[in-house]
Amino acid sequence: MTGEDIHSRLQAIFRDVFDNDTLVVTRATTVGDIPDWDSLAQINLVVAIEKDFEIKVSLEDLETLSNVGDMMDLIRTSVTP
Amino acid sequence: MNEYELADVSVGMTQEFSVTVTTGMAAGFVEISGDANPLHVDKHYAGDKGFRDRVVHGMLTSAFYSTLVGVYLPGKYCLLQGIKVTFHQPVFAGDELKVRGEVTHVSEALRVMTVRGSITNQHGDTVSKAQIQVGFI
Repeated sequence: MTGEDIHSRLQAIFRDVFDNDTLVVTRATTVGDIPDWDSLAQINLVVAIEKDFEIKVSLEDLETLSNVGDMMDLIRTSVTP
Repeated sequence: MNEYELADVSVGMTQEFSVTVTTGMAAGFVEISGDANPLHVDKHYAGDKGFRDRVVHGMLTSAFYSTLVGVYLPGKYCLLQGIKVTFHQPVFAGDELKVRGEVTHVSEALRVMTVRGSITNQHGDTVSKAQIQVGFI
């Protein structure tokens, strides 16, 4: 799976979770860039990532997620080649 | 009331219960919500629109999803985080509903699970479906 594939699917997840069809995220996008990105939204994002990419996120993984780039890296290292 | 904790649940686990909708429930929901739309309170109006009786509020029947997770799956330790509901058939007072939930996803790290809910009537028709996200406290 390419970085572009991951970004495309991740962006679709963000648009669904935040109910915003025009939302654009980059590797640098953080909590501060999306007003509705609160703790429950974070749960919704990670649950959606687990389902969409069929991966399991650990407690340790959660603590490393500070921006979209971190999420993309976690997905890349977690998905089965 | 069930008392399932996160370690007790797994994908595929199910729970269900039955409930009969009464006119008293419908009247109570009008009082609680203030939704006195004639489709819900005026039998003649509902008949003119093609329904055999007043239609029970979809949000009333959706309250049974709260019961599903708050009492049955997982029960005591439930923290309801969100529900997406769709309505497929009308419900009328007197209908006997079966409310069913199946665990479709469990995230140990987040202490969250997803439940696929459905409600069917006494004829076997699916009246609503739901995706329910539940946290554990």
